[in-house]
Amino acid sequence: MPDIVLDQVTRLYGKEVRAVSDLTLAIPDGSFTTLLGPSGCGKTTTLRMIAGLDMPTSGTIRIGDRFAFSLAEGVSLPPAKRGLGLVFQSYALWPHLTVAQNISFGLEVQKVPRAEARQRLEQVATALQIDGLLDRYTSELSGGQQQRVAIARVLVMKPSVLLLDEPLSNLDATLRMDMRAELKRLHQETEATIIYVTHDQLEALTMSTHIALMQAGELQQFAPPLEVYAQPANQFAADFLGNPRINLLEGRVARGVFHSAGLDLALPDAMPLPESAEVTLGLRAEEFRLHDTPGPARAPARVTTLLPTGSDWYYHVDMAGKSLIVRQNDAPHLRLGDTVHVEARPESYKIFGADGRALAGVP
Amino acid sequence: MRTAFNRFRLKMTPQRVLSVLFLVVLGYLVIVPLFLMLRETFIVHPLERFQIPGAKIGDWTWAHWQRNFLSDNAYAFFYKPLLNTLKIALGLSLLALVIGGALAWLVVRTDLPMKGFIANAAIIPYIMPSWTLALAWITLFKNQRIGGDQGIFTALTGIATPDWFAYGLFPIIITLSLHYFPFGFMLIGGALRNIDAQLEESAELLGASRPTILRRVVIPLVLPAIFSTFLLTFSRGLGTFGTPAFLGGPVREFVLSTSLYANLIGQRPGIGYLAAVVMILLGVLVLYMDHKIIGTRRSFVTISGKGARAGLVALGRWRWPLAVLVLGFIVAVIVVPLCALVIDTVMLRPGIYAWENFTLHYWIGDASLTVGLGTGEPGILRNSQLMSALRNTMVLAVVVALITGILGILVGYAIVRMRGSWVSQALDQMSFMPYLMPSIALGAIFLAMFAVPRGPIPSLHGTFWLLVIVCTVSYLPYAVKAGVSAIRQIGPELEEAAVMVGASWWTRMRRILIPVQKSTYFSGMLLPFISVTRELSLLILLVTPATQVATTITLRYTDRGWYPYTNGMVLLLVVIVVGSTILSRRLMGTSIAKGLGG
Ligand SMILES: Nc1ncnc2c1ncn2[C@@H]1O[C@H](COP(=O)(O)OP(=O)(O)O)[C@@H](O)[C@H]1O
Ligand SMILES: [Mg+2]
Repeated sequence: MPDIVLDQVTRLYGKEVRAVSDLTLAIPDGSFTTLLGPSGCGKTTTLRMIAGLDMPTSGTIRIGDRFAFSLAEGVSLPPAKRGLGLVFQSYALWPHLTVAQNISFGLEVQKVPRAEARQRLEQVATALQIDGLLDRYTSELSGGQQQRVAIARVLVMKPSVLLLDEPLSNLDATLRMDMRAELKRLHQETEATIIYVTHDQLEALTMSTHIALMQAGELQQFAPPLEVYAQPANQFAADFLGNPRINLLEGRVARGVFHSAGLDLALPDAMPLPESAEVTLGLRAEEFRLHDTPGPARAPARVTTLLPTGSDWYYHVDMAGKSLIVRQNDAPHLRLGDTVHVEARPESYKIFGADGRALAGVP
Repeated sequence: MRTAFNRFRLKMTPQRVLSVLFLVVLGYLVIVPLFLMLRETFIVHPLERFQIPGAKIGDWTWAHWQRNFLSDNAYAFFYKPLLNTLKIALGLSLLALVIGGALAWLVVRTDLPMKGFIANAAIIPYIMPSWTLALAWITLFKNQRIGGDQGIFTALTGIATPDWFAYGLFPIIITLSLHYFPFGFMLIGGALRNIDAQLEESAELLGASRPTILRRVVIPLVLPAIFSTFLLTFSRGLGTFGTPAFLGGPVREFVLSTSLYANLIGQRPGIGYLAAVVMILLGVLVLYMDHKIIGTRRSFVTISGKGARAGLVALGRWRWPLAVLVLGFIVAVIVVPLCALVIDTVMLRPGIYAWENFTLHYWIGDASLTVGLGTGEPGILRNSQLMSALRNTMVLAVVVALITGILGILVGYAIVRMRGSWVSQALDQMSFMPYLMPSIALGAIFLAMFAVPRGPIPSLHGTFWLLVIVCTVSYLPYAVKAGVSAIRQIGPELEEAAVMVGASWWTRMRRILIPVQKSTYFSGMLLPFISVTRELSLLILLVTPATQVATTITLRYTDRGWYPYTNGMVLLLVVIVVGSTILSRRLMGTSIAKGLGG
């Protein structure tokens, strides 16, 4: 099965709107790659260009060893010839057809023999547990069932690449959890490459083997999820992933120590930062420890809000005018207005220069 | 260079090719006529060379403009008909507004009994040919002026009707407003239905009386619908032909459309075309006003919207008297005229209300009968000329409905799917243009355009296809509007899902786009079907003996004073039109109000 390679793909709408800008991305065969980014960053446009429903303004797209799109070669493979299936955000089920007819439509168009078509229909319906719904019209189905039909309609064509555009955004929270697990199982069973579009960073973190993080039409980082989480390539990546949002502290480096808002953090020796550089340090909520007593490398702060989630507690603390979110997993004996002493315990050092890029040499 | 060429080649999808094709065809059928029409007002036509000293056929001249606007005869040629036209349009739209609005209020907002029936019946006058009532008026109220016999009213009461009552502006305004009031009924009724009850209830809580609420809350809220109705009926009034021809002809009261017709088939085509140009300009003006007034007020309507339905006004002791009044009105505008027409067709000699004068001769009579009107003319149902005209009408109506239906889908598809491109905009605007052209003028221009071969297009004069083309162009605005709204409801993803599995454009149309919106398309076809069936002014200039349709042939019988034949044919058309409306509503759930769409 094929890798999908986008090379310097740009899509302009009119002269002004750069929906996708100079995107270069190699999606490995068999991966579960997520296009992640805020709304309007060009995810859907990218997916549609891969599918062949939209044409890049410039750049090339290869699927395996073939060009799917190249202006220089004068090639634009029709969508059906690219060997991929697309599940639309709206599902796009045909309302005048039954579930069975919806699923078999593609087989009919491709002139698959009737007996085989029937067999493939039943197989995919059983796998997605919609075999009891085949004679219904799609308007008679729940959101979750419609979702399954939309996936079945694509899987029955046996695509080697499955494209999904925000497939879970129309489902309620519990159903979304179930479907996440199911999509992951589907990925393992079919061994197809999945390209998955979402703006939900938690979905991306839990499901993907690779995340392609986008903003304003540009690729920010392409890496496995935990790498994007622990070693964000830039401040945007650090800020976009993780819940609650990362704490960003602006400060100055002096003799191997980061100083900000009363907090001092000794940097590892291996970190070659110029003396008195102005940098931003990213610290996630779980990378803090709160103490009752002062000490070295601790900064006093005042508790302003306390948010229990059941398993953890989130504190908002005010540290010399800078508001931090801190996660602790032991039961609180703190009250609002109490003074605590904050210590930073970074698991990885996320340090960004003035241009927002992660500074080189971060382990 | 190479990549530019490749980009062009890759983008040449079937729908793009199709849109460009439509652009060319529509351009030829819609834009070219406009220029041709303008050109005709500067050209010396064969019969005109004697009126203009020293002119040769085909010369350029200002004479038509000079004569039409500045000469001593200008009043008779132009200003009088223009004034008449404006009077009629104004009178008819005010009257239609009052009748339609009152009826809408009664049906939507009060506890009037038998509302369902009234609501359905109120549409019927609109689907009948607009001049049905004119013929009925003549049958009922004619005086000695034409034909030497008297109308049913005079026969029954002995009172002779004065000329101003029997013919001219007065009956034209009355009968046309009775034809067009359903517009007001539908538009205002729709607006009333959308008013949030809370708006009225809060006024009531503040102590406002019923009349105050009506005046200060309800009417301002339906004001946009009132303006729409007014402008819509006004613009129809500007272009209407049949009624002024029937009722104005006997007293030589002309309006723009009838003077256009008289000049065109007479000796002054140049002046006829000028009248057409003026009519188009008036149409544009009305449209511009619609844009100015309604465009800025539309936000008003959306404020109302989905709230609770208002409680019904209890009419109390007025409930039954009002019901009787409304039913009486419906009887007066539907039953009485139709009965009058029926009676006229079964009386051998007009004006003699005696038993032995009643006969089915005009329906099934033999050609050999030499009594009554139309000596030697077989009865309608055995009259090969009339029946072939009726057959032509039916074939034309079906063919045009199918073509406009399909064209509406395809053009609508191109407009919606290519939204944002200049092709989409051009198609949108071009397909709307025929709306501005008075149909009699459109007919005139197609006569000029297709009388001779032009380039690859042969002369279509006297062919059935010329009628098909002119009807198609004329109803294109409605068909495209229906197509656009149908396709817009289908979101592009429904189609792209089929693209993904390799369905060709044709398969997508056949299996997805058309079946999904079946009933909408069908509604869109019903309106052209009905319109063709009753179309007179568009075709009157284009038919030849071989291509006569039911409406145009009736005019010829009217000219000879053989009213029973005319009236019988109109009755057949009414039966066909009303019957097919009811049938399609039963079968497909279509509604004429949907296709009308304001
Ligand atoms: N057909 C279009 N015409 C003009 N602009 C568009 C069109 N489609 C998308 N865009 C613009 O391109 C950008 C990316 O859109 P999209 O790919 O849909 O974003 P996402 O899926 O990440 O939310 C947006 O700014 C959007 O407004
Ligand atoms: Mg999107």
